[in-house]
Amino acid sequence: MANLLELIDIKKSFRMGTEEVQVLSGANLAIAEGEFVALIGASGSGKSTLLHIAGALDRPDSGSVLFKGRDIMRCGFFERYRFRNRNVGFVFQLYHLLPELNVLENTLLPAMVAAPWYKALIRARPGKALAIQMLTDMGLGGRLKHRPNELSGGERQRAAIARALINRPALLLADEPTGNLDPRTGHGIIDLLIRRRREENCSMLLVTHDVQIAQLADRVVRLEDGKITPA
Amino acid sequence: MYKLFLCFRYLTRKGIVIFPILAVWLCVSMLIVVYSIMTGFVDRVRDAGKELMGDVVIQSTLAAGFSHYDGLQKQLAKLPCVAATAPVISTYGIMNLPEYQTSAEVEVLGIKPALQSRVSSFGKSLFWQYRAPLDAAHDLRHAPFPVTGSQLVKYARGKLQAALEVFRRHELAIRKLKPIKGHGWIAAIEHHWHVIAREDYRQAEYHLNRVFRDLRFVQKLPPAAIIRSDAALRKELIPPAPTFEPPARARRDYPSLAAEPKYGCVVGIDIGLYTRDRFGHYHRPPGVRFSPVILTVVPITLSSTLASPQSHRFQIVDDSRTKVFTVDRHTVYAPFRVVQKMAFMQQQDLLSGGIRPARCSEIEIRVHDDQHQAAVNAARNQIAAAVRRYALKHPGMQSSGLTVMTWLQEQSQFIAAVDKERDLITFLLGMMSLVVIVVIFLIFFMIVRDKTRDIGIIKAIGGSEVGVGSIFVLYGLLISSAGTLMGVITGVLFVIHDNWIHDDILWRIFGITIWNRRVYIFSRIPDQVNPETVVTIALLAIVAGLLGAIIPALIAASRDPVHALRYE
Repeated sequence: MANLLELIDIKKSFRMGTEEVQVLSGANLAIAEGEFVALIGASGSGKSTLLHIAGALDRPDSGSVLFKGRDIMRCGFFERYRFRNRNVGFVFQLYHLLPELNVLENTLLPAMVAAPWYKALIRARPGKALAIQMLTDMGLGGRLKHRPNELSGGERQRAAIARALINRPALLLADEPTGNLDPRTGHGIIDLLIRRRREENCSMLLVTHDVQIAQLADRVVRLEDGKITPA
Repeated sequence: MYKLFLCFRYLTRKGIVIFPILAVWLCVSMLIVVYSIMTGFVDRVRDAGKELMGDVVIQSTLAAGFSHYDGLQKQLAKLPCVAATAPVISTYGIMNLPEYQTSAEVEVLGIKPALQSRVSSFGKSLFWQYRAPLDAAHDLRHAPFPVTGSQLVKYARGKLQAALEVFRRHELAIRKLKPIKGHGWIAAIEHHWHVIAREDYRQAEYHLNRVFRDLRFVQKLPPAAIIRSDAALRKELIPPAPTFEPPARARRDYPSLAAEPKYGCVVGIDIGLYTRDRFGHYHRPPGVRFSPVILTVVPITLSSTLASPQSHRFQIVDDSRTKVFTVDRHTVYAPFRVVQKMAFMQQQDLLSGGIRPARCSEIEIRVHDDQHQAAVNAARNQIAAAVRRYALKHPGMQSSGLTVMTWLQEQSQFIAAVDKERDLITFLLGMMSLVVIVVIFLIFFMIVRDKTRDIGIIKAIGGSEVGVGSIFVLYGLLISSAGTLMGVITGVLFVIHDNWIHDDILWRIFGITIWNRRVYIFSRIPDQVNPETVVTIALLAIVAGLLGAIIPALIAASRDPVHALRYE
């Protein structure tokens, strides 16, 4: 199967006070189309940094990020934003829903970013029907008008997953999506993620500490000393 | 599209935005109110200044005036641009009212009233010869026209009867009021009602006096005369030209003056003989009109030395209100020939056998096209050339001391001062309004800090830097537009209804008077709104809002999404 995403020799360091900390020192990872990869590693090992680089949210010091064979780090600003909007869906540990918007509006936001302004004149909200259907499938049909602070942790994460999938991305990047949930809810969320990933036929890179969850992936890799190794 | 959507959400769901909206609202409202009222004030001062004198004035720099003015007037009358000319003698003196045992320093203007009312608004400034008959015609405008003189008297009597009924009702109501004892709110409210009743009583008294005066006017009409409309009534009641001649009744009322040659004079309304209430109405005590006045002036010789003072007895026949306080406070108008003689400016036989021609202080000129300042300026140039030509033929008229000025040049110091006051106040308020930019900046800065994680989220789902920045710029635009819209609505409504707010709310409910009509020359607070001013202030406010939002928007746009997502 062809590679969807390739991270080649990724290096990244951060300055902590006066000290330079090398977080990634030549990390290599390839994810095939439709593949589910779990990334495990110790706290502070650079998992989230790698995830952000994979989603073009952060830039590596050196190395290449190839998406369908194209180096997205060489693209212009606007192309990178468009890449993130069209091809990547992020799911964060802390859900990161906008508190001023309700569940439906949070879910629709990436679709609104993708839609040109004139479409708003034709349709009230692009992707609204899809969003409602998705949220109803995820058991949030009765919570469409609720604001994030009126939802439980599991419900917030389900809304965040719906938001990540609304533009039908090719790549889902999940950064410890169960880290803030109790084990039972967490497993429910993982089941939902895996099911939706299959339905949407998208690749997924899941960062987790939980070995049990990692074992559900097609492949498990470990980030250690700034490098990726098979687990 | 998402930018506008997020703007509206932030606007409707973040309570803190109320503060910048309030700041913009108050500043826009304040600027519109202050600028409109001050502009109205400047315009009224300007209009009053324009009406005070002719469009062009020829003055002498010598206190003794200039000669050959009558010949010059004839020459000027030939110019196509000149509509009318009037000579004026200006001198200073003392006005003494023996019956009131008061005296005042005054400027005595010797004028020809009929000519003067053709070049300035002198005729229209007179109370008994213009304002009062005009008011009477206005009060009786609902009469069943056409009516005969006697029917009109009957109609006016009916109005007087009705006004008397109202007055009696108020008088009875006031008599019923008992002194209030005790303390607290109820007593205070009752006290206010007491004050209100007294004010209504004064208004009723004023109205009664007025309709009584109207009746006296219509009684002068021939009983059989048929008056067809209120315009015809106006024409009947207002004399065709003002005069200083005291009516026969005045001679009858003051037999002590019958033996002397009598001349009438007109006093400025604010000269101190009349009181003014808080509504701006002047109260004319019955005895003041026709009472004797002694005017004493000190003539100035051609060599600019003082001659012996000259006094003359006059009778007050009218009062004049030009709405220029300094004029109304210090001016007495008297017949031209009499003042000319008192000031030693009449034609004199010299011991050497020749004659010294008569002199005047200035010639006021009305031009045909007085609506356009450019036309007035052009007329001024033509008149100046004519004066130079005339002076060459008459070397004795001391033409080197003559100046020819338009009314605007003559009044420039006064009008420019008021103009500058308005600009200064507006500038100071505008500087204070800069606080809007600071308030918006601070609140936006807080919002951007508060929304740091949201910025990370928006960037994570594909929002660009330009997109994030424009959310906050649009947000600033919406806030300043909302505040501006509210400010424009309340500011314009306030200006349009400022007299009502002042009289019926501030005074009646709280007992506060800001525009004291006893002090100001205009009875009404200016209430005109200039649309151009409103648009300019609104645009400036929106720009100020944008300026306040722009730096926080740049900060938001440049936020690193990874750091923003980790922001606690």
